[in-house]
Formats: sequence, structure tokens, C-alpha cells
Amino acid sequence: MSQTNEQEDPKREDLRINFFRPRPGFMRKEVTIIWVTLAAWATMTFGMPIHLAFVHTDPTRTLAEAPYIFGIPAYFWFSGQFLILWFIFLCFIFNVLIDWLSSSYRRRR
Amino acid sequence: MEQSIKYTPFFLLCGVLIVSLIVGLLSRRHDRGGYGVQVRSIGHASIGAAIASNWMSAASFLGIAGVFFLNGYFAFAYILGWTGGYVLLLVLMGSQIRRFGKYTAPDFVEARYDSSVARVFSAVIAIVISLIYCVAQYKGIGMVFAWMFGIDYTQALVFGVLITFAYLMVAGGLKAARNPQMHYLVIIIAFVVPLMLIAKKLGYNWLVPQFSYGRALRDLPEQVSNAYLFPWTFGSPYEWIALCFTLMVGTAGLPHVLSRFYTVPNNRDARWGVVWGLFFIGLLYWSAPAFGAFAHTWLTNSGTILTPAEAQALADIIVIKTAEWVGLHEIFVSVLAIGGVLAAISTITGLLVTGAGAISYDIYYRLINPKATESHLLIVAKGATLALALLVLVIAVNPPGLIAQITAVAFALAGNTLFPVFLLGIWWDRANKYGAIAGMTVGTIITFAPILLGNLIPTLRTILPPTSSALVGAPVVILTMIIVSRLTPPPPEHLRRFLVEKVHSP
Repeated sequence: MSQTNEQEDPKREDLRINFFRPRPGFMRKEVTIIWVTLAAWATMTFGMPIHLAFVHTDPTRTLAEAPYIFGIPAYFWFSGQFLILWFIFLCFIFNVLIDWLSSSYRRRR
Repeated sequence: MEQSIKYTPFFLLCGVLIVSLIVGLLSRRHDRGGYGVQVRSIGHASIGAAIASNWMSAASFLGIAGVFFLNGYFAFAYILGWTGGYVLLLVLMGSQIRRFGKYTAPDFVEARYDSSVARVFSAVIAIVISLIYCVAQYKGIGMVFAWMFGIDYTQALVFGVLITFAYLMVAGGLKAARNPQMHYLVIIIAFVVPLMLIAKKLGYNWLVPQFSYGRALRDLPEQVSNAYLFPWTFGSPYEWIALCFTLMVGTAGLPHVLSRFYTVPNNRDARWGVVWGLFFIGLLYWSAPAFGAFAHTWLTNSGTILTPAEAQALADIIVIKTAEWVGLHEIFVSVLAIGGVLAAISTITGLLVTGAGAISYDIYYRLINPKATESHLLIVAKGATLALALLVLVIAVNPPGLIAQITAVAFALAGNTLFPVFLLGIWWDRANKYGAIAGMTVGTIITFAPILLGNLIPTLRTILPPTSSALVGAPVVILTMIIVSRLTPPPPEHLRRFLVEKVHSP
């Protein structure tokens, strides 16, 4: 295929952009931050329903045995209220990290 | 249904529309530069309020509470999808799309994929997304007006279309600017204050009804309470996850959400604005389920039993109905009704303007008549707005589902088409126009197949629920784009150099 020649040709400049093989330097660090944030986003959002799907199959037992917080089952509070806070927190941390990364690269120039 | 006009909400609505016009006229003097780009530096909280006001539609104001009223825990899939999507957008695309420097979805697609066919395709998709979104908004307006004037839904709908049009024309004629911060404030107060009063009337903690509705749910008769608290009464884990994922990728692909990233002077402000925006949106979403829960409290207390059909019919105005049922003062019931109408009208004006812009510029000017003059295009845009509104009206007469469900279909389309095109466009230099066109075609088919063929092939709806098709759809489209791009020549070198030097550099 055409792109294999491209990769092997040393005279050609490397213009490859690939999320899974980030370019060294700024992009590699940026992608690392993105991976960490995405992992924290995905495990919390989809981890809970997956956990609930396996553990909670019977309504009466679930509601009798599940831990409670603020007067409601903890999983209910987690999905209805905590996760939005978590999303805000993730965006905050992401911004702090990206701010730090871009300012460190600007200073180097 | 009562057959009398409720005068309080009607006059309040007229008053609010007039005041918002006046505020628009006053803030016009301070607003410089076109495209809503504010020149002076503004605080992050204020950017966030603008993001939230752009976001909050009838689906948030009326729809979520309705879904919670019917389906309990299942409604959290909507709430999390519509907030978590912003994380995806910020993390994966926000900065990069901004550095790319194209303001609308069709502009981005043409610049990145170097193809006018892909551009027109994405413009058509953007128009269809606007259409579906508008249908949901009009359903909200129709239902609120039907309640307000004691007329039937279809009449109320026509009336609603006339009102939005009158407002659009007057506001456009006077060139009134929108004041998003004030708009957000009005909507959130109109939502939360009546909710606090409802909680007080029913004897629950009124300071934070966002917490006390849990208590209210537990106080319901055990059978009802269990149904709403148990996660899988109204939907399987697959349905929940598919819906949540679809709304998330849809949020990250919605054209009118993306363009919000450009209305602020720099990248950093835009990013920090999202943090505040999420908080402001969260305020509404933390509160919305409480309306659904308190509605059940009243139904139980008064011994009223609704048939499933009755509950379904009331769900989309349950916010207003709850206030009316518990006996809130007329003024507060009206405030809720008007908040819903305002949220819908502002969303509709934004979407119709975007849709008409896509028709007049991306399709008419670029495809049909490249010699068209500015004034000629303006006429086309006005005609397009009218045509779109009529089309929306025709579909909205028989709304195919709840407000939140109709809106979700628009998200599924965005998640199946524009999201993959943006994602690969930014993160993979090798993605080319053939891949983009193939991807958008497959995405469109995946979105509409379960809707059009669902009756013939029932399994299609199980795997691809119309509201939630992107969990399967988005990965399939991404795969299609990768395969087709690999089999066809790479995009031109100048494009790839632009990606390396501009989009992926600090």
C-alpha cells in the first residue's frame, strides 16, 4: 500500500498524526493527559451500570441490601448527583494540566 | 383539560419577551464584531453561563423531569450523557478544533477533507440535526401552550410557531443581541425557585430539593418506590449504556455546541468556560429529577392513579403539572411554563438560523448559484427558515416520542456522523475525503435504519434503539472511515503539514 513506501522513505518529512502513536514532545504529553482523563471518565461513568448489572438483579434484595447515603441507595446518588461533580472535577484537572503543559512549552521556545 | 385561557402566564410571557427584546437592544451597543465574538475579555463564569444558556432547551427544562417521572433511574442516562459529553468534547477535540480555526461543521469538513461533496453532505446532516432538535422544542411549546390556553395540541403548535416567528422577525429586524448570561439566570431561577416551593408544600427540605427528593422517593409506597429506585425496572443495562454513550458522543459532535468554542477570544478561556458551563448545566440537571419524584408524592398523597397512557401524555409537562397539583400560586406555575417556552424559543431561533445558514451558504451558494449576491443569499436564508419551520411543524403535529427521546435521535445522528468525522479528522492524518463520505453514509444509514425498518425487522431496534444507536454506530463508522481511507490515496501534503504544525503544536 502507498503509505508503507511513505514511511520507509527517509527523505520524506514525517507528517504522521496518530492518536495511538503520538509525536514525541508536546503531543505525546498531551495525549497522555487525555488518556488519563478519558480513563477516569469512562470507568466512573460506565463502571457503575456494569457493576449494577451484575450485582443488582432483584429489586427487593437490592434495595434492602444496598448501602444508603442521604436517604437514598448509594448507587442512585452516585449516578444522579456525584457523577456530574466528577465531570466538573475532571474538566478542572484537565485544564490545570494542559495549562501547565502549554506554558512549559511556550517557555522553552 | 380546562377550557379557559390562563391569563397570568400569557401576560407574563408577553412581558418577558418584550423585556428580553429591550435588553437585547441595550446590549447591542456594547457588542462589537460579528458572529457573536465578544471582543472584550470576559470572565470564565460568564463564558460558562453562555455555554449553559446555549445548551438548555426544552429537553433539559421539560424533558428530563418527564423521563424521570416515567422511568426513574433510567433518566440518569440522559442526565449523564448530556453532561459527560462535555468532558469528551473538551478532552478530545476542544483545543484542536479551535486551533484548526473553522467555525462551522461544513467549514471544518471542507477544509480538512478538501472536498465539496463532503462539505455538502455534512451541511445536510447539520440541517437534519437542527430539524429533529426543533421538532422536540416545538413539541414542548405546543404542550405548554395547549395547557396555557386550554386548546388542543395542534392549534397550540401552530400558535407557538407563529409566536416564535414573530419574535424571530422582530428581534432580527431590530438586530437585537442575545444576552446569554441573563437568559441563563432567568431560566435557572424559573426552574429552581418553584421547585423549592413545591418541596416546602410537600413538607420536604426546601433549601436543597436536589437532595430531599431522595427522601420523597423512599416515602412512596414500597412497590412504587422500588420501581423508581431500582436501576433496571424500565430499561436493560445495555439500553442504559447505549443511550448514555450515544448522548455523549452526540454532544461532542453537535454543530451548535462546537461553535460555542469560538465565541470567546482564546483557547484557554474557552476551556475554562467549559468547567463553569458544566456546573451551570449541572444545577439544572441536579434539580430536574426532583420534579418527577414530587409528582409521584402528590399522586400518592391524593390517591390519584394515572393510566400508563395518561402518564405518558403528561410526562412532558410534568414540571408544570406538579406545580399546579401541589397548589403553588398561579404566578409560580406561570414562571415554570414560561421558563420552558423561553428555553425552547431560544434554542429554536439558534437552530433555525444555523439551519438556514447551511442551506443558503453551504448548499445554495456553494452548489447551486456561486454568483449569488449578499442580498440574494439573505432572501434565500429567510425562505429557508420559513421552509424549515413549516417542515418542523408538519413533523411535530404527530410527535414520535417524548421530548427527550426526539432530541436523543438528533444526538444519535450527530454521534454517528459528525463525531467520527471530527475525531479522525483531528487525530489521524491519513483520514481522507473518501473515508469521510463513506463514514457519513454508513452513519446516516445506521441512524435511520431502526426508525424506518424497525417494524419490519424487530431485532434491529433491540440492537440499535433509535435513541441510542451510536454505541454500535460510532465504532462502526470509525472503522469504515479507517478502512476506506487506507484503500484510497492519502490527503494532500499541505493538509497533513497543517495538522502537524498548527493543530498539534502548543
